[in-house]
Amino acid sequence: MSGIPRLLRRVQPEQLREIGLLLILIVLVAFFATQIEGFLSGRTFTRISTSVAVIAVAAVGQTLVVLTRNIDLSVGSIVGVVAYVVGTLLTENPELPAYVAIAVAIGIGAALGAINGLIVAYGRVPAIIATLGTLAIYRVVLVELSGARTITTDALPDWLLEVPRTTLLAIGEIDLRLMAAVAILVVIGFQLLLRYLPYGRRLFAIGSNPDSASVAGLPVQRDVFVAFVLSGTLAGLAGFMFLARFGNITVVAGQGLELQVVAAVVVGGVNIFGGTGSMVGALLGAALIDTLQQSLIRWLEVSEFLRDAILGLLILLAVASDAVLLDRLRNFWARARRRSPTTETTAAQEPGSGL
Amino acid sequence: MDEGSPRTPVIEMRGVSKRFGSTQALEGVSLELYGGEIHALLGENGAGKSTLIKVMTGVVQPDAGEVRIDGAVASIGSALDAQRLGIAAIYQEPMIFPDLSVAENVFISHRDRGRFVHRRQMQADARKVLARLGVRLELDQPARGLTLAEQQTLEIAKALSLDVRVLIMDEPTASLSAHEVRRLFRIVHALREAGVAVLFISHRMEEVFEIADRVTVLRDGRRIRTAPRGEVTTASAIRDMVGRTMDDFFHRTPASPGEVVLQVKDLARETAFSGISFDLRAGEVLGFAGLVGARRTDVGLALFGIAPAQAGQVALDGRPVTIRSPQDALRLGIAYTTEDRHALGLVLPMSVAANISLPSLARYLGPLGLVRFSDEAATARRYRDRLRIRTSSIQAPAEALSGGNQQKVVLSKWLNTRPRVLILDEPTRGIDVGAKADVHQMIDELAREGMAIILISSDLPEVVAMSDRVLVMREGRQMGILDRSQATQERILAAAMGQDERPGPPDAATAAGTLGGVAS
Amino acid sequence: MASEPAAPVASRDRGAAMGLLARLRSWEGLLLGLLVLIVLWNATSVSGYLDPRNQINLLTLSQEKIIVVLAMAFVIIGGEIDLSVASVMALAAVLIASLYEGGTPMELAVLIALGAGLLAGLNNAFWVAVVGLPSLAVTLAGLIGYRGLARLFIEDRSIGGFPGWFTAITRDAVLGPLSLSLLLFLVLLVVAAVLLHLTGFGRTVYVVGNSRDVARFSGVRVTRLKAALFVMSGFIAALGGVLIASRLGAVRGSTAEGFELDIITIVLFGGVSIFGGRGTMIGVILSIFVILNLRNGLALANLTGNTQLGVIGLLLILSVLVPNLIATARGRLERRAGDRGAGTGQGPDPRRADSISGTASG
Repeated sequence: MSGIPRLLRRVQPEQLREIGLLLILIVLVAFFATQIEGFLSGRTFTRISTSVAVIAVAAVGQTLVVLTRNIDLSVGSIVGVVAYVVGTLLTENPELPAYVAIAVAIGIGAALGAINGLIVAYGRVPAIIATLGTLAIYRVVLVELSGARTITTDALPDWLLEVPRTTLLAIGEIDLRLMAAVAILVVIGFQLLLRYLPYGRRLFAIGSNPDSASVAGLPVQRDVFVAFVLSGTLAGLAGFMFLARFGNITVVAGQGLELQVVAAVVVGGVNIFGGTGSMVGALLGAALIDTLQQSLIRWLEVSEFLRDAILGLLILLAVASDAVLLDRLRNFWARARRRSPTTETTAAQEPGSGL
Repeated sequence: MDEGSPRTPVIEMRGVSKRFGSTQALEGVSLELYGGEIHALLGENGAGKSTLIKVMTGVVQPDAGEVRIDGAVASIGSALDAQRLGIAAIYQEPMIFPDLSVAENVFISHRDRGRFVHRRQMQADARKVLARLGVRLELDQPARGLTLAEQQTLEIAKALSLDVRVLIMDEPTASLSAHEVRRLFRIVHALREAGVAVLFISHRMEEVFEIADRVTVLRDGRRIRTAPRGEVTTASAIRDMVGRTMDDFFHRTPASPGEVVLQVKDLARETAFSGISFDLRAGEVLGFAGLVGARRTDVGLALFGIAPAQAGQVALDGRPVTIRSPQDALRLGIAYTTEDRHALGLVLPMSVAANISLPSLARYLGPLGLVRFSDEAATARRYRDRLRIRTSSIQAPAEALSGGNQQKVVLSKWLNTRPRVLILDEPTRGIDVGAKADVHQMIDELAREGMAIILISSDLPEVVAMSDRVLVMREGRQMGILDRSQATQERILAAAMGQDERPGPPDAATAAGTLGGVAS
Repeated sequence: MASEPAAPVASRDRGAAMGLLARLRSWEGLLLGLLVLIVLWNATSVSGYLDPRNQINLLTLSQEKIIVVLAMAFVIIGGEIDLSVASVMALAAVLIASLYEGGTPMELAVLIALGAGLLAGLNNAFWVAVVGLPSLAVTLAGLIGYRGLARLFIEDRSIGGFPGWFTAITRDAVLGPLSLSLLLFLVLLVVAAVLLHLTGFGRTVYVVGNSRDVARFSGVRVTRLKAALFVMSGFIAALGGVLIASRLGAVRGSTAEGFELDIITIVLFGGVSIFGGRGTMIGVILSIFVILNLRNGLALANLTGNTQLGVIGLLLILSVLVPNLIATARGRLERRAGDRGAGTGQGPDPRRADSISGTASG
């Protein structure tokens, strides 16, 4: 039974998911290119890549958390708090160097993430409850800090406003903006972390089988805590990017962003039950959602209120396909592999199947 | 070390005792394991093997006695301590990480492999470890989808990579095919060559005699004998294992069973069991005997519709029936009391009364679906008096009761469904002597009232004392049904171990070995 | 935690259970004390605070939330969660408004809105009870999706101008100081308490919430019960949507946004366990009054609605964190005291071959 070609056997179902997402993205772009005039342009790329960048950075942090079978719903509020605090700081001290501003952004994010991590990992409060709570609390912190004032673009230093317009690299009509580059760097960096640091592998282990993880003596609580801290840190960076991109920051900044981020992660093939997923997948998920939303709105000429309906549907489909399809696929894969001549197994027993 | 002096055992237990409630699980057990030996541990279910393993792996602390490692007293307070001391255990169901690769599974617990994961290096190391065991696995593939045997191998490799010195293997072959058992034995031999002390627990006599250097028999928490393999025979081992007296056991009231109530023919379920056939009469107690992995519980679950059978016929009062769900079973008058009271039998925080009425709740509902609390309480009181359930109140939560009284609540709960067929799964496991006697008396009364009873029990004297006939299972196969006159402990145990002395069909058990499933 | 692998899990759960049990006995008392304190505190700053009309007024202003609290209590005691309620409320309210605007008779619009709530509940029920996805993920998708649908209908407009009888439901007193909707709430409250504590249905909710496995092994139809919970939740949420449309007299896309936080907090703060199987309607009712009075007190102290939300978030976390910490401390004490003598030894060994753990969890 060598029904599956040798090359395909090297590919894991997770990678298949990523390839699938990429194909869907290409098909979508091709389709919209035939439907919308001037769709295939540098402007479309710039618009989508800049808006994806913010989501993608936060989605990388979210992926770390979801891998351990948890969730962080507070990222939208963290983005808001960071954008506001750093915005205020820069309004009041325009001379402040960029690296200080970024350090403050990241520091606040890390601190707020640490609060989440403490409550979840050491207080054993379910992540959904803990971060639903901190989502509200962090937002209140923002409101209290701001006194309902807003930060406006013209009060911010010029260098900050230049950030989203900075082009690193131009290939023909396509500009690679600084923000998109940062997002790609974060994705690659954390993809490497997941792959090459023992910590990264432990995140998979914890989500894959929490019971075995404790029996095997892995530092489960500490690792989950750190995942939340990292999620907060990256939300902090996303908050800085948010500030640079929009300039005008009100108390509702970043509200609902957590849903976009969770959607990106789930659509990107990160299993909501933990254990599988990748940063590249999360990036592709974010890109797919944004492309679909923006293009559908342009194509159907409907209002942008279609966004949320699409988002909800995509999450449901992604979770369902994860639970139903991918599980079958994995087992099929495993079985096919074992029938192949490279392993010397004979019996066809399937652990845990059939129930 | 000096050649002449006696070797120091790698691990040594001296007079280890452990008591759980009213059960003396271990009493002054001593055991020495030497490096490079394969030591088989034999004993009936409940002889104390699991407790002994738990002491060695730091899961439970002994009440008395000491554990010595290399001659020095050691305290094993946790699984991590055991790991540090080089003690590892492999169970029937391996604890692996399905989403990690094979190589990663081997090294995930290591803390000394540098700051980065060197995939090549890790795979090379994993290959080396696996090579020591003489196996090849695809190292970069996720562990998901490995066969059970491969998962076990993986766990052994993991233990080996952590410099294991004592490896405990608890029924490692129970779910393996003959071919896989051969490979496992090669691995165990390789471990012996490497100087590891292996404690091998198995119910398959032929395996024990093939692989063990020494054999220890436990019975009732005591060590009966330790001897080199050459000095032990199957017959002597079985004699050692079943030496329990039956004096304090209940004597059934003699009665002749009535009509056939339940007929089962060729019942089978995938990897769990097959070829189960028996008749059960009104007023009869049919014992189900067998060792760990015999799959008796699976037959019970099939008849109760939790994990329905996939082939075979079931007839009730001569009419064929299909049981696809517990609701079906309840409607047909089949009740099943689970062996796992805590996880499956009782809603612990709810009251005794509410637990008793649960499966028959519909009978206690008045207009608008309101619960008739007074009726419910009356029923609960009736059972409390009849079964002598000791509780402060029938409104007390079930979790406040002792194990024996909880078991009586479980019994009440199912008796109250007025079943025709009652399947009792380990009804006296872990309960005290008094409660046990009450349960036995109850079984006798119920049989006299004409209830058809299946008694699944690992307690051999209990099965012998309480049953009219005994169906013996081994690894999902029915080994035969013994009449009351034939059903001695020795005969049952021999059949359960596939050691039937009578000339019979060519050892069906070897073939059955391949059928051992995984999901248990 | 890492030091105790397989067997002690049962005893740890039992320690937690005993902690929770002790907590159940005192939690309602604690809430009552808290309520008295808050009311007295508020009364010192505002004269006439103790007037019952004031309490009724508080209920009126939150009626659409507290009506959904009743259904949410069932869902959480049943061991699940429904994050989509606020979005279903919005969807129902928006449907009423846009249908009415489009010329549909108001009566019919209300019926359609309630039907939409049923459908939303059925959708959740299908994915959770039948397919077996985690309710968290399913209702999170619902939270986003149903509001998305609502926004599609109304976009960024605000629709109002409803007929007088419709707004009167929530505004005009019909019995003493009570409006029709508040009467409906009180009736539903009694129905919910009776349903939960006195009927077979309520009994099964607790059983399933405590342990799906025990329920299954006792012949309870778990799938059907879970489906019923979500359908009920969807329907009641739609009812809440009708009430908010009536009370506010105008509907927008952001109507009822974030209400799920308040609703879940009230339920958990009322002593209902997030892990299911525990809690009482009395506790939930007390929690409603505590939180409404607390918010009122905060408002009196000139704290904005947003700040109040933060306090709610804090309460939400504390209502799970505090019992957890207590249970941990208790468990430690018990283990220290009972390690030697009182071990139970009946903890199920998860690795026994004959055990049904595989089938039970599959």
